[in-house]
Amino acid sequence: MNDYKTTVGIEVHCELKTNAKMFSNSLNNYGGVANVNINEIDFALPGTLPTINQYGVELGIKAALVLNCTINKKVVFDRKNYFYPDLPKGYQITQARNPIGVNGYVEIEVDGKKKKIGIHDIHLEEDTCKSTHADTKSYLDFNRNGVPLLEIVSEADMNSPEEAMAYLEKLKELLLYANISDCKMEEGSMRCDVNVSVSKTDKLGTRTETKNIGSISSVGRAITSEAARQIQELEQENEIHEETRRFDEKQERTILMRVKETGNDYRYFPEPDLPPYYIDETYIDEVRKTIDVMPDKRRSIYLEKGISLVNANKLIQNKPLSDFLLGLEDIDLVIASNLLLGDISSYLNKTEKKITETSLTQAKLREVVMLLKENKITNKVFKDILVDLMETDLGISEIIEKKGIKTISDESALLDVITKVIEANPESVKDYHEGKDRAIKYLMGQIMKETKGQANPALVNQLLQQELAK
Amino acid sequence: MNKLTKEEVRHVAHLARIKVTDEEIEKYQIDLGKLLEDVDKINDIEVETDELLVTPVDQEAILRNDQETRSVNFDEIKKNVPAVTGNFVEVPVMIGE
Repeated sequence: MNDYKTTVGIEVHCELKTNAKMFSNSLNNYGGVANVNINEIDFALPGTLPTINQYGVELGIKAALVLNCTINKKVVFDRKNYFYPDLPKGYQITQARNPIGVNGYVEIEVDGKKKKIGIHDIHLEEDTCKSTHADTKSYLDFNRNGVPLLEIVSEADMNSPEEAMAYLEKLKELLLYANISDCKMEEGSMRCDVNVSVSKTDKLGTRTETKNIGSISSVGRAITSEAARQIQELEQENEIHEETRRFDEKQERTILMRVKETGNDYRYFPEPDLPPYYIDETYIDEVRKTIDVMPDKRRSIYLEKGISLVNANKLIQNKPLSDFLLGLEDIDLVIASNLLLGDISSYLNKTEKKITETSLTQAKLREVVMLLKENKITNKVFKDILVDLMETDLGISEIIEKKGIKTISDESALLDVITKVIEANPESVKDYHEGKDRAIKYLMGQIMKETKGQANPALVNQLLQQELAK
Repeated sequence: MNKLTKEEVRHVAHLARIKVTDEEIEKYQIDLGKLLEDVDKINDIEVETDELLVTPVDQEAILRNDQETRSVNFDEIKKNVPAVTGNFVEVPVMIGE
């Protein structure tokens, strides 16, 4: 049964981070009290007309740029007609003829193999309202109705659940870093519909669409179970039907959904309420300049500076921390990333703060990293001054002074302590000379205890070996 | 003879979520057929360009600033809604999505 090849294409919907909605000037915010961010346009009251949100178009251009698409400079919209209570107009405004971006790609890597996944097109549209279903009634909240959506349609270029998940991770990273969308699948600001087919030949099999999958890992599991189902059907000489399914997380299988309108039944036609808008090269250049340093570029800098791949990915996954390092590329990024991912992250988690809400500045981080690198302070001292670093505007030397911390890196002062410890522990010295490793660790411990952890361990180690050799 | 079959009329009625009787279907077969004939006349006109004329006004869209927002109190909206539960609009249950 392994001679079947699975083919996957994915449609992603993500909500754009605008202030107002796409075609109406009500607030883009939902999830709170129902039906407060609404106006006449959202309810399609007679006499209302849509208008185009400038920033929505700008984010569409930005997405086209980061997804390597060709930009269609003539922006036009179409109506997709269907009657459903979640859409009061009776149609969704979308881009069917002339999507804002076409022929793009993203590059993914699975098991060390790089692959380009084609983007067929990306287009701007509006979200529908949020409906909650009970036994005999459905309840509608129109706050989400009209929220700007970007639909990203991939080519059927993926051949495994792993490739599909890598594609989605990559897409999420790019959209997040370009500040286009929050991409929170659990809150619905990013949603995936997955097309799967299997075939033994080069000719593609009949595909099914599995809608609204809740997380990237569920996408992987949905593809695995749907491909297995199709193979089983074909092995039993049944046909695969082009149909819409949903993924049941608990049963770990896809389930057939009611058949809705498709294709021609949507009766697409040009939206007569919105005249065309033309994007010029200058505007595209301006948008290009607003794009942050993208994750791949950051990752390669991190790896070049000696950060492990695991930590580099951890930084990328935590954009505020990664942003904090922008412009600090000249310092020791290994030390800096260890601080950010270690004690600083623990502090932020404990206090439920964002790094930008603390008093830590790039200048302070730069100084701390230098002091640590030059062994002028120890990690212990860093831990002691952390809270003051995060919560006060005091400089590092001021904090150290205020807390009465002595940073011992003065050799003669250290030698006094070392001599004292050696004299007090003749047994350990004997053990050391007999080749027992533990002895030196014990002596080190005693010295650190004497100096209350303020001595520089590397220096202590060096001086202790030197003294013991005498 | 009719431009539309009864099945096609039924299909269009379904898309519009309208219930139609057999008598009405026969009537719409004729009425909608006439509409299609008119559309054919428009299609016969020879035009010099394939470019769709979407609006008769030769003006570019003016984009709206993302900052200014306007909302309407739900009490006002309620007046145009058949049924309400709390702050929600209530409709007969929708099957499927």
